[in-house]
Amino acid sequence: MMRIVLFGYSKTGREIAKLLVGAEYDLQIIDENPLQVAKANEDGFFARHSEFRDDSMLEDVGIGRDVEVLFCTSTNDSLNLFITLSARSMDKKLKILTLIYKKEDEKKMLLAGANRTISPYNVGALKAFRIIDKPKVSEVLNLFTLQSNKLSMNEIEIPKGSILDGAYFNDLTIFREYNLIFLGILDRELGDKFIFYAEGINHKIDENDVLIILGSKSNIKKFKKAIA
Amino acid sequence: MLAKLIVSFAYLLDSSKSYKRVKSFAYDLLENEKSKIKPYFDAFIIFLVILTVSILIYDIAHHLSYHFEIIENVAVSIFILEWLGRFWIHDDLRYLIIKYHEEQLELKKRPKFIDIIKIIFRQKMKYIFSPMSIIDLLAILPTYRPLRILRVFLIFRLLKIFRYTKNINIFFKILSEKKFEFNFLFVIGIFAVFMSATIMYVFEGIGNNPNIKSYIDAIYWSIITISTVGYGDITPVTLTGKILTFFLVAGGFGILVLATSIVTNALSDKIEVVRENQLLSKASKLSELIVVFGFGRMGMALCSELHLDKKNFIVVDNSDESIEKAKELGYLYMKADAADYVAINNIVFRNDVKKVVITTENDALNLSILLTIKAEKSDIEVIVRANNDENRKKFKIAKADFIIFPYETVAEVAVEYIGNAVKFDAIENIILRKSDITLDEIHIFDGSSMVGKSISEIGLNKMSITTLAILKNGSSRNFIFNPDCNEYKFEVNDDVVVIGNKENINTVKKSITRQFT
Repeated sequence: MMRIVLFGYSKTGREIAKLLVGAEYDLQIIDENPLQVAKANEDGFFARHSEFRDDSMLEDVGIGRDVEVLFCTSTNDSLNLFITLSARSMDKKLKILTLIYKKEDEKKMLLAGANRTISPYNVGALKAFRIIDKPKVSEVLNLFTLQSNKLSMNEIEIPKGSILDGAYFNDLTIFREYNLIFLGILDRELGDKFIFYAEGINHKIDENDVLIILGSKSNIKKFKKAIA
Repeated sequence: MLAKLIVSFAYLLDSSKSYKRVKSFAYDLLENEKSKIKPYFDAFIIFLVILTVSILIYDIAHHLSYHFEIIENVAVSIFILEWLGRFWIHDDLRYLIIKYHEEQLELKKRPKFIDIIKIIFRQKMKYIFSPMSIIDLLAILPTYRPLRILRVFLIFRLLKIFRYTKNINIFFKILSEKKFEFNFLFVIGIFAVFMSATIMYVFEGIGNNPNIKSYIDAIYWSIITISTVGYGDITPVTLTGKILTFFLVAGGFGILVLATSIVTNALSDKIEVVRENQLLSKASKLSELIVVFGFGRMGMALCSELHLDKKNFIVVDNSDESIEKAKELGYLYMKADAADYVAINNIVFRNDVKKVVITTENDALNLSILLTIKAEKSDIEVIVRANNDENRKKFKIAKADFIIFPYETVAEVAVEYIGNAVKFDAIENIILRKSDITLDEIHIFDGSSMVGKSISEIGLNKMSITTLAILKNGSSRNFIFNPDCNEYKFEVNDDVVVIGNKENINTVKKSITRQFT
């Protein structure tokens, strides 16, 4: 079970919480605003009220011990920054994802220790832009991102002793066999940078590399079995 | 009998396509503010006006060869043709005649010749006596040689220039709004002139001052003094006259200052309106304009993408702060209350708008804008932002083409980060356009060189461009996922969705258009 803490039951926080229901997640919600806490409880989540005066509260929820992921989704920018910084100082390995409201804030948040930042306005705007600019692309993207669809985008880590270990991906025909599209790879040899297939470089696949593939859910399952 | 002839002629014209084409061309040339040829035509007419006026002025003292007369005659013929053209396109008489005829048919009466003449006469008189038509006519008159006195009307030809310059029209309109103030000043001025002239005449007109021989002289002196021009050809000689001059100069100064301040005030009050009018007319000339309602955080992010992509768009917002930002960034903008029908009418319906994005943080306002647009023109594509989960259904009922709920989209991406950090990066890179790798679409037109060829024949895979899917006839319901490089042959109306390096994709797109035969 993955322990996740969500700070700030904002609109984004609420949507994230909705996606994290299920036995595999243990979600804790904290908000500085009692009204938001009440709203979260009403929606059926377990939420607590806290004013974030010191780090003791962070310790209380388990940061530095068994919490793996932290979402900072408060509507208050400086509070997000403060919590990101405090949590990072307590736990070096914690995955922190922080909400930003302006593009300019991204650097600040990354400096404070966030692993990734994300902005609802930017994402929304880009979605609108894509509909205007490339309507067909956005239709195809919908095919992959909607939960209900048969198609999906998956990441697959190459297990030890896999048939793909040591292969160059320009030589591979296995993707065609399973009707999959190979998008790119996270190559451990080259540092943890994501490389797109489209960049046109012929990479050697090693164990622990992560492949990103597109395809139907059933084919992806079969593919996983085949390469093991 | 005659009436019948006219009516059938009207029907004939109405059914003629070439007649309509010629008329709409004349309309584009003369009156249509949005047409592309009108500015050139206007510039040409202004040039003719300046040329002929210069010739006429030169001709007053010098004798010119007959060549110049030819120029004058040609120019005037063009002016006459222009006037006749406007006379012609001022209205659609054939509609009125047909309408009249149909009314008579319903009443079981026969069309009367006199009635038809009345209809024609009424419409055309309306045009002839419109201010612009009068200016045009006066511009033609000075050419008529026997009436040398008509040379004075030369000045009216210069007036003709005004009809082509919108700014001057706006300027006069602004000044006319300050009518009350100007009238007030005018009355005060007239009063001061006559009073001082009378006093001057009484004290100096009886022989004290050799220059003031009549009451007209006194008025002339008074006007020259009050306007602070002060030629000095008539100067007061008596003490009373001199004291009077003090007051007159002071008063004249005051009136001038007031008049100046009224004009500047009027201008500064209206400068925003003028600027917005200009922006609107600029917007009306753009094709496929995208209207973005709301310049908040999402609107701003969207506009910066649109700007990067060199799309035509206009921002509509009600807050001064947002408008100020749009102004700084150099975007087209319009400060307006989007709940107002007039604003939407001016911006959306009157222009060539196919796509509208509504991004305000107020769902009620978004809904109202959406409904206003859809009620009037349902074919405009509307992308609307929902701020509350509960309201998405309402937008759907209101027939929004796309509903964006930014919080959910961002949550989906964020949750991806928990289990699939690599996938998150891949999505982020593509979606947020952070790398050179991009998703793009290629439409296959009829006659394109791509038709009947396979992916490898076109060389997509050599350029590391992956074909994700092919949408048949543009619908995502009917699509081919991951088509085979050699087996699949492109067909007309396929939409090919590809992922690859931006430059490579552009090269492919260019080569397709080049081979297009």
